[in-house]
Amino acid sequence: MAKRHHVLPGFNLSLGYTILYLSLIVLIPLGAAFLKTTELSFAEFWTTVTAPRVLASYKLTFGASLIGALINAVFGLLTAWVLVRYTFPGKRLVDALVDLPFALPTAVAGIALTAVYAGNGWLGSLLEPHGIKVAFTPLGVVVALTFIGLPFVVRTVQPVLEDLEAETEEAAASLGANRWQTFHKVILPAIWPALLTGFALAFARAVGEYGSVIFIAGNMPMVSEITPLIIITKLEQYDYTGATAIAVVMLVISFILLLAINGLQWWSSQRNAKSAE
Amino acid sequence: MSIEIRNIHKRFGKFNALNNINLDVPTGELVALLGPSGCGKTTLLRIIAGLEAADEGSILFHGSDATSRDVREREVGFVFQHYALFRHMTVFENVAFGLRVRPRKTRPSEAEIHRRVHALLELVQLDWLAGRYPPQLSGGQRQRIALARALAVEPKVLLLDEPFGALDAKVRKDLRRWLRRLHDELHITSVFVTHDQEEALEVADRIVVMNQGNIEQIGSPQDVYDQPASPFVYKFLGNVNQFHGRVHAGKAHIDTLALDIDDHHETDNTPAHAFVRPHDIEVLRERGTQPAFSAVVSYINAIGPLVRVELQRQDNQSIVEAELTRERFRELALQQGEAVYIQPRNVRVFLDVPN
Repeated sequence: MAKRHHVLPGFNLSLGYTILYLSLIVLIPLGAAFLKTTELSFAEFWTTVTAPRVLASYKLTFGASLIGALINAVFGLLTAWVLVRYTFPGKRLVDALVDLPFALPTAVAGIALTAVYAGNGWLGSLLEPHGIKVAFTPLGVVVALTFIGLPFVVRTVQPVLEDLEAETEEAAASLGANRWQTFHKVILPAIWPALLTGFALAFARAVGEYGSVIFIAGNMPMVSEITPLIIITKLEQYDYTGATAIAVVMLVISFILLLAINGLQWWSSQRNAKSAE
Repeated sequence: MSIEIRNIHKRFGKFNALNNINLDVPTGELVALLGPSGCGKTTLLRIIAGLEAADEGSILFHGSDATSRDVREREVGFVFQHYALFRHMTVFENVAFGLRVRPRKTRPSEAEIHRRVHALLELVQLDWLAGRYPPQLSGGQRQRIALARALAVEPKVLLLDEPFGALDAKVRKDLRRWLRRLHDELHITSVFVTHDQEEALEVADRIVVMNQGNIEQIGSPQDVYDQPASPFVYKFLGNVNQFHGRVHAGKAHIDTLALDIDDHHETDNTPAHAFVRPHDIEVLRERGTQPAFSAVVSYINAIGPLVRVELQRQDNQSIVEAELTRERFRELALQQGEAVYIQPRNVRVFLDVPN
């Protein structure tokens, strides 16, 4: 095979660097986690990762993350829409507020949310008489995970919406489409990949979240205990292999879910290409 | 369907975009809204379409008031300058869009949609592109698809906003002739916006010249070119030489010259501007019987059917532009730097309006 000439020089060098970097930062630590779990026999591994308390925490972590990411997909899209399409006083301030969950130390977010949603907090005192308990329940976990995931959807969808010409919407309207048809036939297909990406990022972040959740969750075993907390607890008890075993399970589940979302993205772009023929 | 525009006003903040616009577009006519950018022509088109609401006034379609009708119910086809095609849909689906979004009761069958879309694609001569996506097309092809998409809903009125504005010169020329032929086939009432006077003069049945939110003149291309109603129209439509002087008893006094004009016989020593098209500037070797300026040939551009000559007047050094036929130019055998006489014909005078 003839040597190919690239316009950009240094392909080999930069690829080598990329692989080295990824290995050091990502692959080696992950590999170490897998290696550590091999200290357990399969039976020990299986008992550790399927203990009822751990199973309940998977359900809570992935369930609450999914709900949080879904809420963010809807309201993040709405926020991005408002920020792109309208001008109003204080718009830049609102725009900056969106990034706050990024910048805030997660512990601060946790304490603030707990203070607000606790039975004697501003919102908690209004909700509790109606029988809605937020703090120290799974609902509180959802609230915290929604809070930290918000910027992901807004920031991925916003630039795509900005690129979308308002004229295409006017064109749709002049062709007789109503607002819903314009939204789901013209706008949504254009922003769908960005929305999925934002959703995936918000979800991934929520699964790994620790700081903001442990304050508001109350951490009752079987009820409001998240998986990262179980890992920490095991570490504090010097059960390193147990902790990594659970970490490996989380890793695998997260990987499969992200793969599924990527697959969905690929599938929807294929479907679009198909309808061409 | 005819369009009647009655006393339309539109303001954007403090900016007066449209000032009391009145206009009738008879059924089947192709009308051009012509003017410089910012003159309000696009705003007027968008108000006709229902994409923008007027502050005052009303729009009548075929005699019935459509002012408060939503864009979806106005049955207009709108073509945008930048095409506004749906990027994620094929050409076929773009054209079919208007039919597919109809309520189930009035939606044609799949076979009927197929038939109609292909008929439209044949009309715009792009049937072979049905499966492509808009980004894979050239600008001219995109605009023709946008037109087919607009026609798919069988609009009563076709509105085009600078339809050829984003295309290069050659494609523009082809497309505007093609649009003219298409209009002659379909006879759909059409209004198109342009800032290109050549385009308006070539394509339109009637031209509406606009400036700063006002209509300056409405007329056939011949009318607005030959009998401009205002200095603005004179300057906007084609090249023109402008002279400053005074009008007194049927004569225009421009510096040392006294030119006969057709009107203003009663006018008494009033400041005025005189306009003469470059092809109405006669260039002579010898002074004739008619009044003429003496001038020096300062520049010759002999490319194309007409020869453009720039002449510098000797009395005040100002530049006068003349256009000669190639025959006349050869006859005169002009050289740069030569002294000649220039004699304005068909002088049109507008009295200065005192401010």
